[in-house]
Amino acid sequence: MQEEERLIVDNERCKTGIDELDIQLGGGIPTGSTVLMVGSSGSGKTTLCMQFLINGAQQGERGVFFTITEPLFKLTKNMEGFSFYDKKLVESGMVNLIDLRIISERLGLDTEKYTAEDASALLDILRDIADELNVKRLVIDSITALCYRLQTPEMIRDFIFKLGSSLAAMKCTTLLTSEVPPMTFQYSQYGIEEFISDGIMFLGDLERKGDLIRTFQIVKMRGAAHSRTKSAMSISSKSGVELAPLLKSRE
Amino acid sequence: MANVLIDGLKERISNAIKINQSIGIMLPGSNYSDLVQALFEYINSKPEEAWVYVTVTKPYGTLVKQYEYLLEAKNIKFIDCISRAAGILRSDSNCIYLESPSMLEKLGLEIMNIFKEVDEDTEKFLVIDSLSNLIIYNDAEIVTEFFYHIVNRTRAKDIHTISLAIEEEGLEKHLNRLIYLNDKILKVRDSFI
Repeated sequence: MQEEERLIVDNERCKTGIDELDIQLGGGIPTGSTVLMVGSSGSGKTTLCMQFLINGAQQGERGVFFTITEPLFKLTKNMEGFSFYDKKLVESGMVNLIDLRIISERLGLDTEKYTAEDASALLDILRDIADELNVKRLVIDSITALCYRLQTPEMIRDFIFKLGSSLAAMKCTTLLTSEVPPMTFQYSQYGIEEFISDGIMFLGDLERKGDLIRTFQIVKMRGAAHSRTKSAMSISSKSGVELAPLLKSRE
Repeated sequence: MANVLIDGLKERISNAIKINQSIGIMLPGSNYSDLVQALFEYINSKPEEAWVYVTVTKPYGTLVKQYEYLLEAKNIKFIDCISRAAGILRSDSNCIYLESPSMLEKLGLEIMNIFKEVDEDTEKFLVIDSLSNLIIYNDAEIVTEFFYHIVNRTRAKDIHTISLAIEEEGLEKHLNRLIYLNDKILKVRDSFI
């Protein structure tokens, strides 16, 4: 299998910095993995990914966040509400925030649909940026919006596979956010992304007495003996994302 | 008479918590106010300790109106589980407002997060006021599971717990199961004080 030939550096772990998550992963995400962060709108994908980058930067690992779904000013405004968000790390270049739509425009790419050549050019620029900045953590928010511009399942498969392979070779751990409709149990919009990714983390909801409880579950993580239990997830301005054991009603 | 009652309750709480990690207090509704007064006076007399008080019974705003000295108290933090759900919006440095009393996992996280910030050598105490009211807002089974988790987590961190259970018809079965998880049970009756 081509996917399994992907380089995941043995035994090296990329700590997310979220204690309970690292415990569930057996120490962290295997370094160089490409992980799909799945959830519906408002499930906490962006926050979790940003926390992953900020925590990495605090440990000296440079990161880059490519946004496609919202403009940078909105992203930073939202993130400034969290105490984990350290503006200095952004200003110092330890965490780089890049609007992928602006890059696409600068490359002269069609903003709606990419040809094979466009996809290849975008892939090259992503790899170049990762290489030039020497990043160890990379986020694309969202891969769904990017896949929308790729015209065939083959292009999607090829794009994610090549991106993941190149970044793994740089020992860069990648999170790709995947948007799915609420209250569904699917991992991606196109049904391809999950097969090419090394890991899947699922952010869901559970209704209890009319309230929505955020949930988190690691569905797959190649190279890690990970937990598969469903956890409750909390997002607060003070602590960011936190996980706790989910209480299971017997009713 | 009232002072004798309150002093008697304080003494019983003090004696029990000194030698037990966790105590459960079962009381009739008619003694609730006396017990809460005794607890707050006891807490106020221990400035060197760290207390977290989870209220599911009265909003924080009501408690501090009744016991004004709590506003100045540095040794107690509140988690109010009911104000937000009742549409009461306020912000206090000494209180965390939970969105809903059904968000038990979040409650557990907030409790442990407060204790994380307390110096290791400081004695730590948790009050849950009350298990019976948690059962009003949640299924009894899930409150039982929550309480198991909390008791085990606090034991592991050497945190003392005091959980209140107001006797109510129809809840005895659940409350008995919950309250007996504690090391010591205090049953409050006027005649015993």
